[in-house]
Amino acid sequence: MDYTLSEEQEQLRRLVEEFVGRDAKPYLDKHGREDFPWPLFRKLGELGLAAIPFPLAYGGGGLDYRCYALVLEELSRLGTALGSALAVHGLPQLILAKFGNEEQKQKYLPAMARAELLGAFALTEPHAGSDAQAIKTRAELRGDSYVLNGQKIWITHGGEADVYLVMAVTEKGLGAKGISAFIVEKGAPGLSFGKRERPMGLPHHTREVFFDDCVIPQANLVGNAGDGFKVAMTALDSGRITIAATSIGLAQQALDYALSYTLERTAFGKHIAEFQGIQFMLADMAAAVEAARCVMRKAAYLRDSGLPFNLEASMAKLLATDAAMKVTTDAVQIYGGYGTSEDYPVQELMREAKISQIVEGTNQIQRMVIARELLKKLRQ
Amino acid sequence: MPVNIIVCVKQILDPEIPSRDFRVDAEQREAVRGAANLVTNIFCENALETALQLKEKSGGKITVISYGADSTEDALRKALAMKADAAIHILNDGQAHPDPLSVAQVLAAAIRKLGEFDVVMLGRESGDWGVGQTAGLLAEELGVAAVAFVDKVEIGADGLQLKRQTDVGYERVAATMPLVISITNDEHNVPRIPKTRDVMMSFRQPLTKWTLEDLGVNAAEVRAGNHYYAVVDLFIPVQELNCEFVDGDTLEARVEKFAQRIIEVTGSM
Ligand SMILES: Cc1cc2nc3c(=O)[nH]c(=O)nc-3n(C[C@H](O)[C@H](O)[C@H](O)COP(=O)(O)OP(=O)(O)OC[C@H]3O[C@@H](n4cnc5c(N)ncnc54)[C@H](O)[C@@H]3O)c2cc1C
Repeated sequence: MDYTLSEEQEQLRRLVEEFVGRDAKPYLDKHGREDFPWPLFRKLGELGLAAIPFPLAYGGGGLDYRCYALVLEELSRLGTALGSALAVHGLPQLILAKFGNEEQKQKYLPAMARAELLGAFALTEPHAGSDAQAIKTRAELRGDSYVLNGQKIWITHGGEADVYLVMAVTEKGLGAKGISAFIVEKGAPGLSFGKRERPMGLPHHTREVFFDDCVIPQANLVGNAGDGFKVAMTALDSGRITIAATSIGLAQQALDYALSYTLERTAFGKHIAEFQGIQFMLADMAAAVEAARCVMRKAAYLRDSGLPFNLEASMAKLLATDAAMKVTTDAVQIYGGYGTSEDYPVQELMREAKISQIVEGTNQIQRMVIARELLKKLRQ
Repeated sequence: MPVNIIVCVKQILDPEIPSRDFRVDAEQREAVRGAANLVTNIFCENALETALQLKEKSGGKITVISYGADSTEDALRKALAMKADAAIHILNDGQAHPDPLSVAQVLAAAIRKLGEFDVVMLGRESGDWGVGQTAGLLAEELGVAAVAFVDKVEIGADGLQLKRQTDVGYERVAATMPLVISITNDEHNVPRIPKTRDVMMSFRQPLTKWTLEDLGVNAAEVRAGNHYYAVVDLFIPVQELNCEFVDGDTLEARVEKFAQRIIEVTGSM
C-alpha cells in the first residue's frame, strides 16, 4: 500500500481542484446553497466525475475507490455540498451496478454517469432511522405492478432526483428479510414530495418522499424480493468510505484556513501562531486529519483489492467525521469571534461537519458495526 | 483545411499561491519553490485552447512542445489530456535560467526536426518572469512572420484571420501561413478542464523525449545561454504605507489641505 499519490492520481486531483476553483466555488458563492446546483452537477458528468468507480461498460470511469475518495476529498474542500451530492448519487449507481439486471443497468447507469439523471437513496422513515429494519413503507404486487404506500424522510435529492432507490416491505413479519429494493422514477403516479428540509449549513437537499398508491412496473424490483436490506447495507458499507472522504476534505480545508489565519491575526503583539496554545491545537488538528485519511485510504485499498473492508470503512467514517467535527470547531475557535460570523467560512464547515456524524449510520451505529465485526472474529 | 499546429508550453511555479507564501532567493535570483505546485503557464493554456478550438473547426493536428526539467512531463500529460495529439519533451538538463533567446533557439531546432508546420502558438508571456520575448524570437529563428497578443484565430480565405488586442482596442489581421502567434487571454479561450477518462488515457499515450543533442544544437552553447539578458537583482518590493490625516475647521479647509498634500507628495515622487 502506498501513501503517496501516483502521477495519474495527482493529475486527477488537479482536475478537481481546477473545477472547484474555476466553476464550483464561484457558482456557489454567487447562488448560495438554497437551490440544487444543477449546472455543477451536469459539469461533473461532462468531466467524467459522476461515476468514477462504476463500470466502463456502462459509461463509468472504471477507476478504483482510492481515486473516487480522492475526488470526493478534493471536491469537499468547498464544504460537503457537492461531495455529498456525488456520494449520494453513487449509492443507487452502486446498487444498480451490483444488483441490477442488464436492462436496468443499460437504462440508468450511462445516463447517471453523464449526470443527465440524478440519483437518490430512500431508506429512512420518520420512525425508522438507525433501526432501518423497522421501515413500514409497503410494496404490494398487483398484477404486473408494485404498489407502494408509505413515507420516507430526510431523502437527499428528494424532489430533485430522477431515479430513487427505495426500500420497502414486500412481506410483513419477516423483518430485514421482508424488505425489497425498487427503482422509482420521478413522475411515477402517486409519488410526491414534502417541502425542503433545512439541515444546518444546507449542504444536502433533502425532502420527505410520499408514496400514495404509487404504481411502478414489476420490472423495477432490484435483485430478488427480500434482498432489499442486504442491498441497502451493501451500498452503505461502501458509502461510508465516501462520507469519510468528504469529511476529510472539509476538515483539511478548515485546517488550512485556520493555519493561515494564525499568521494573519495578531494579539499581545505577535501573530497568534506564536502561542503554544494555538500551536498545539493546530498540531492536534493536523494529526487527526492525517490519521483519518490513512484509515480511509486503507478501507478504500481493501475494497479495491477485493478484501473485506466493512470494519475499516466504519472506522474511517467514525474517525473522519469526528475529526472533521473537532477540527472545524477548533478552526472556529482559532478565528475567535470572527469564526462565528457568516462572513467567514469556518462556521459553515463546522455546521456541515455535524451532519456527517449522523448520516449513513450515526457514529454510534458505526461503533456497533465495529464491535460486531471484532466480536465476530473472536467468536470464529 | 486541416491545420498543422504546434503549441509551445512552459511549466512554471503556480503564480496563484498566496503572496504571503511567496519567497525569493536573492542570491540565486530565483523564486523559492516552497510548497507551490508546478503548473502550466496560463497563457500557454490559452494558446492550447485556441489551438484545440481551431482544430475542432478545421481538422488537423496539434503537437505540444516544452523545453524544461523532468517535471515538465506533467504539463505535457495535461496537454494530452486536453486532447493535443502529440507531445514532445525537450529535456533541460542543467540550464538554470534559460533566457528567452536560447529557449527560442531550442524550440526552433525542435520544430525544424519535426518538419512542416502551419502555425506555432505560444502564450504571450509566462506568469513567472513575464518577459514575453519567446514568440518573437522564435519567429525570427524560424524565419516566419509573427503576430502578437492574438485572442482569436479563425480560418480565412487564404490563411488565418486573427484578432489581436492593442492598447486602444483591437486589430484584425489576415495572415498567411506558416507563422508564429502569441496568444493572450480572452473569454473565448478559457482553457478547458480535461475529462477524467482523458487524464487517465494521457498516461498511456507516447511522449517523445529529446535531448539537446538529439536536436543537433550545440548543447554546451545552449547551456551557457545568451548573455544579452541577465537578471541583476531579484527582490519582493516592500510596500510602505503611511497614513496621514488632514485637519481643518471646515470641509473646504480640509479639502484644500488634502489637495495641497497630494501635490506635495506626488511632486516629490
Ligand atoms: C442531511 C441528511 C441527509 C440524509 N440523507 C438521507 C438519504 O439520502 N437517504 C436516507 O435513507 N436517509 C437519509 N438521512 C437519514 C439518516 O440516515 C438518519 O438520520 C440516520 O440514519 C439516523 O437516524 P435517525 O435520524 O432516525 O436517528 P435515530 O435512529 O432516532 O437515533 C437517535 C439517536 O440514538 C442513537 N442510537 C440509535 N440506536 C442506537 C443504538 N442501538 N445504540 C446506541 N445509540 C443508538 C443514534 O446514534 C442517535 O444519536 C439523512 C439525514 C440527514 C440529516
